[in-house]
Amino acid sequence: MDIFNALMAGFGAAITPVNLLWCLVGCALGTAVGVLPGIGPATAVAMLLPITAKVDMTASMIFFAGIYYGAMYGGSTTSILLNTPGETASMVTAMEGNKMAKSGRAGAALATAAIGSFFAGTIATIVVTLFAPFVAEWAVRLGPPEYFLLMVLAFTTVSAVLGKSTLRGMTALLIGLAAGCIGLDQISGQGRYTGGQAELLDGIEIVLVAVGLFAVAEVLYAVLFEGRVAESQNKLSRVHMSARDWKRSVPAWIRGTLIGTPFGCIPAGGTEIPTFLSYATEKKLAKGDDRAEFGTKGAIEGVAGPEAANNATVTAALIPLLTLGIPTSNTTAILLGAFQNYGIQPGPQLFTSSAALVWALIASLYIGNVMLLVLNLPMVGLWVKLLKIPKPQLYAGILIFATVGAYGMRQSSFDLFLLFAIGVLGVVMRRFDFPTAPVVVGMILGPLAEAQLRNAMSIGEGSAVVFVQRPMSISLIVVILAVLILPRLMKMRANRKERQALASGN
Amino acid sequence: MTTPDETISPGAEPDTTGWPQTAVGAAVVLVALGMGYGALGISSEAGYGGVGPNFLPWLCAVGLLISGLMIVWEARTGGFHEMDPPTGAAKAYWFGFAWVAAGLMLNASLIEHIGFILSCTLCYVFACQGLRRASGQAAGAPKVLLTDTITGVLISAPVFWMFTQFLAINLPGITSTGWL
Repeated sequence: MDIFNALMAGFGAAITPVNLLWCLVGCALGTAVGVLPGIGPATAVAMLLPITAKVDMTASMIFFAGIYYGAMYGGSTTSILLNTPGETASMVTAMEGNKMAKSGRAGAALATAAIGSFFAGTIATIVVTLFAPFVAEWAVRLGPPEYFLLMVLAFTTVSAVLGKSTLRGMTALLIGLAAGCIGLDQISGQGRYTGGQAELLDGIEIVLVAVGLFAVAEVLYAVLFEGRVAESQNKLSRVHMSARDWKRSVPAWIRGTLIGTPFGCIPAGGTEIPTFLSYATEKKLAKGDDRAEFGTKGAIEGVAGPEAANNATVTAALIPLLTLGIPTSNTTAILLGAFQNYGIQPGPQLFTSSAALVWALIASLYIGNVMLLVLNLPMVGLWVKLLKIPKPQLYAGILIFATVGAYGMRQSSFDLFLLFAIGVLGVVMRRFDFPTAPVVVGMILGPLAEAQLRNAMSIGEGSAVVFVQRPMSISLIVVILAVLILPRLMKMRANRKERQALASGN
Repeated sequence: MTTPDETISPGAEPDTTGWPQTAVGAAVVLVALGMGYGALGISSEAGYGGVGPNFLPWLCAVGLLISGLMIVWEARTGGFHEMDPPTGAAKAYWFGFAWVAAGLMLNASLIEHIGFILSCTLCYVFACQGLRRASGQAAGAPKVLLTDTITGVLISAPVFWMFTQFLAINLPGITSTGWL
């Protein structure tokens, strides 16, 4: 009942005209950045982080949540019509959705993606509503050793498990951790790697890194390598689903939600595994003509399931963010930065110290989902028009917004030079297939993990045994080892089987 | 001057193996050495916990050194493992890059002297020049330059007003009114 009352109070705060307007603007902006190539939700939120200096905390968090959500809806539109998934989350949608569009069924693909996102987003928001307070209550009992290990778990999964190459993932993470070292040490107050520059005493702003790595790098990459890349846009057909489409989509939405929600709840991150798992499940369960559509004409289940899994994961990822303060993606890392700008550290205390904010944010997710369904189903034609903006003007315009984001935080032109340098780093990382999420997560979580490590070691009076003295920390060590070792063992086993099959075939 | 036609050959396999990959590994090693050098000047005063402010810097330095060496080793023994071929053209179009880079550098250098609107417009025009040339469009014609300049002002000015007037965020102007 407490949860219900708190949620109602949250709705009371979220449905004020001003907050509703912020939510609507956030959802519309999120859809636009999702549709447009070159900017994703992380970049959009990062570029707009300076507003935290003036805008009320509840309003800005509702606004950012709208962008976060909206971009997921918009991203599927681009994947289906252009076959250019902006994020890994939309890759699977692009696989079947683009084939459907090529067969003249773009409307059905867009409809199942939007309704599936709404369904999964709403269910996952209910899960956040019901379970986040309990996770927060449980998390109060965690001490510095457990927190440190939770952060190590996030580092491990983001860098070593989710990417293709552990080496490149770890390198990216270490670059992020190294960038996080710049500035004053938060415990001793000693300056590190400032090189005598006063601008570096406060460290490097996360906005700068995010905008540089995503927006500026995207523009530089486009001018260097993608000037002549031709894109063909599929024709938009009427956004409509037949009775057969509904019959095939509904079970896929449910299965996608069931797969995606648990993945979002764990502080491990990534939408790749749940979306691919959902796709594999749908393909395996399909029979007859439906199965034959996979990879040929495009199967609607192959869009419905992964889209639902994606949105469920993204929404449920708010549980580790709000209750443990652990971001598991680029966007949640930037959202954590937004909280920090207000002097708030998300964690178990958030539900008691900033209950009004948290519940207004959760309520806004329900409202945002409804707004996005309206924005994306009848108005999809409007968003598709955004794809007509010529690339040179679009990318050059992105640089103006990048300037606002980078300069607006500290009013320092030094940051604009740094922005360019980070952009160049982003180009190198993209060209050589280094993941960017570990840099952002490492940079924002690194100083927090360091503080927890030093606090834990102080509790243990300088002895690392403190990490194996509590059942929870031992469990976390086991989980970390498992996520590191199990995927490799499974891969080795699969390789061995493949070799055996090849040998027996010969 | 290089034209995009000379440098971009879509469909060709981009050359990111061998020496370019080795250079990436070497850069990581250099960063690691720089981190290590910087860590020498950070106090090891650990206090009660046994872990001082120099712990994480050393951890990063050693980790990056190992990673850098492993990247060099991968690069010299057949290339990066499990790497998708990069998207886009095989060769970089550096001429276009120079335009965009110049726009960004000018923006950083001039923003506090000529104000946000003019500085960002300049950045926009330079970036458009580079991007238009990269995509093989006409870029230097007076009509194009005028169109880009007007478009740049039409984007920069409302952004400036939105942030200074509605959100009360300080952005540099040539007057203190928040309008210009």
